[in-house]
Amino acid sequence: MSSSAEVAPVAALPDAHVAPTEGPSREPKRKGGIGMTIVLALVALFWISPLALLVITALRPLSDFVANGPLAWPQEWTLQNFADAWGVGNFATTYRNSAFLLILKVPLGVLISAMLAFALAKLRLRFGTVIMFAVFLGLTIPIYITIVPVFVLLRTMGAIDTIPGLVGPYLAFGIPFEVLVLQSFFRQLPDELIEAAKMDGAGPWRIFFTLVLPLSTPALVTVFILDAVATWNEFLFALILLSSDANKTIPVGLLNFQGQFSNNNTGLAAGILIAVVPILIAYIFLQRWIVGGLTAGATKG
Amino acid sequence: MGTATLEAPAVDVAAVRRPRRKYGGIHAWLFALPALAVYLIFLVYPALTSLWFSFTDWDGLSPTYNVVGLENYTNMPKDPVVIQALINNIIWTVVTIVFPVVIGLALAMLLNGKVRGKPVLRLIFYTPAVLPLVAIASIWGWLYNPQYGAINEFLNLIGLGGLAQPWLGQDSTALAAVMVPGIWLRVGFPMLLYLAALQGINQDMYEAATVDGATRSQQFWHITMPSLRPAHYIVLALSLIDSFKVFDLIYAMTYGGPGTATQVMGTWMYFNVFQYYQAGYGTAIAVVITVIAIAVSIPYVRSQTKEHAA
Repeated sequence: MSSSAEVAPVAALPDAHVAPTEGPSREPKRKGGIGMTIVLALVALFWISPLALLVITALRPLSDFVANGPLAWPQEWTLQNFADAWGVGNFATTYRNSAFLLILKVPLGVLISAMLAFALAKLRLRFGTVIMFAVFLGLTIPIYITIVPVFVLLRTMGAIDTIPGLVGPYLAFGIPFEVLVLQSFFRQLPDELIEAAKMDGAGPWRIFFTLVLPLSTPALVTVFILDAVATWNEFLFALILLSSDANKTIPVGLLNFQGQFSNNNTGLAAGILIAVVPILIAYIFLQRWIVGGLTAGATKG
Repeated sequence: MGTATLEAPAVDVAAVRRPRRKYGGIHAWLFALPALAVYLIFLVYPALTSLWFSFTDWDGLSPTYNVVGLENYTNMPKDPVVIQALINNIIWTVVTIVFPVVIGLALAMLLNGKVRGKPVLRLIFYTPAVLPLVAIASIWGWLYNPQYGAINEFLNLIGLGGLAQPWLGQDSTALAAVMVPGIWLRVGFPMLLYLAALQGINQDMYEAATVDGATRSQQFWHITMPSLRPAHYIVLALSLIDSFKVFDLIYAMTYGGPGTATQVMGTWMYFNVFQYYQAGYGTAIAVVITVIAIAVSIPYVRSQTKEHAA
């Protein structure tokens, strides 16, 4: 256990950690092994085949799918499935709800987590170690131990079946991981820097907002993205706390849709794609932050 | 309210302990307060309230309930579904840790060798992990479909049509069929961690070993594996925490069925609370799984705290 500290230097920042992968330094000029590349490419193709099949199926008419089978190359192509699925799946509503939730929850979660992480890393917080232990313990707590009291709590507050009502529980379950990553990042900022700002008469809030946060942009971006993905994908709270169709988020909406479209294979494929495309696009463009954050979060902290 | 009283002693402690002066007292608490308040209200307090509910016969709807002591807990061993759910939970946890860790390590070793297009390959293997679990359940439910599913069709195509079966619809295969996507989505994480760790190993060690005539398998067991020990620890700890909480995938793919063949503690808790109106009993199940989850991950949480507080 104590040995986990040894990994620390590997990955401090997304950059620091992504770089060696493509770094030409280690094996200069030697060409990549063609044989191994082909083997791995085939494995990767196999790995991604469920998604590839999903895309192809979503782009063919149902009649073609039924006539030729799920694995045959389509004879015809169409975009109609997406139009059908969009309407039946109520995706205009669920997209809006998920986006609203994201905007409400993620910036607020990153801010309050960063504040707590700053207090733990750079301020003299009494019982800091106890607080840290209690917060990190939250990583292991399953959501379902809280679900009944949270339901009762939100009903009392009149926040049941509303998107803003989800924000509290979502924040609480996001805090442990965010504090873990941000605290270990803030800790590495040199104390001298903060001392110098203090000499200049800056208070802790000014130090936090004008010094610590700007210097921590990579960690903040990583935490922001990972939190956005987790929020977009969250299922259990949304399933239990939201009841009316007008308030459902993407995962709950997709589940309903799956039931309604179970006999329309091409429409179902289109609906699943509609639900995951934003995540896939975000992942492809932001993957270096996600990869860096996961390895940094795990190896660093 | 509590901040003022807590401030005074903090100053004294610092004066004694450290010459370097940090902002403390009320400022530190103001920074900590918002997150701690949310954490207490929406996580700690509900978890403790669940513990209380687990000692009652509350149905989840009535305004009143009776305290029944440990009855919900003593009833559990008599409930065959709880036994089955616990066994399924253990099978699920072992399988969705062992396979992803072994496959992830193998992929990381291959990707760490002389391979082109590493970023794209890495991207592909991690992709399933970013998808919503409900979407993964939909995709695989669709692949397993007995009528139009691609898996049975594929078996037909390669002449193994005799093996085609309703994978999710029969007791004998349902749990294994749900675990396959569980493995699929979990391979990416260990792969990324091992890849990062492998890149941190000093290459000179391998060269020296080669000069000394060490075989590749000797190098693997005597250089690679020992160097990966910290990574193993983190991968196993985080996988354990994650796998143990399984709910979404099973709920969305099989709804615990057919019958109760794929019930796990999380789903069985859900059914008791929200379908059978036995909130007391359901929360007791949740308490059991939470206590187990905390117990197995305490060493990890402690090591993290120690490291972060250092």
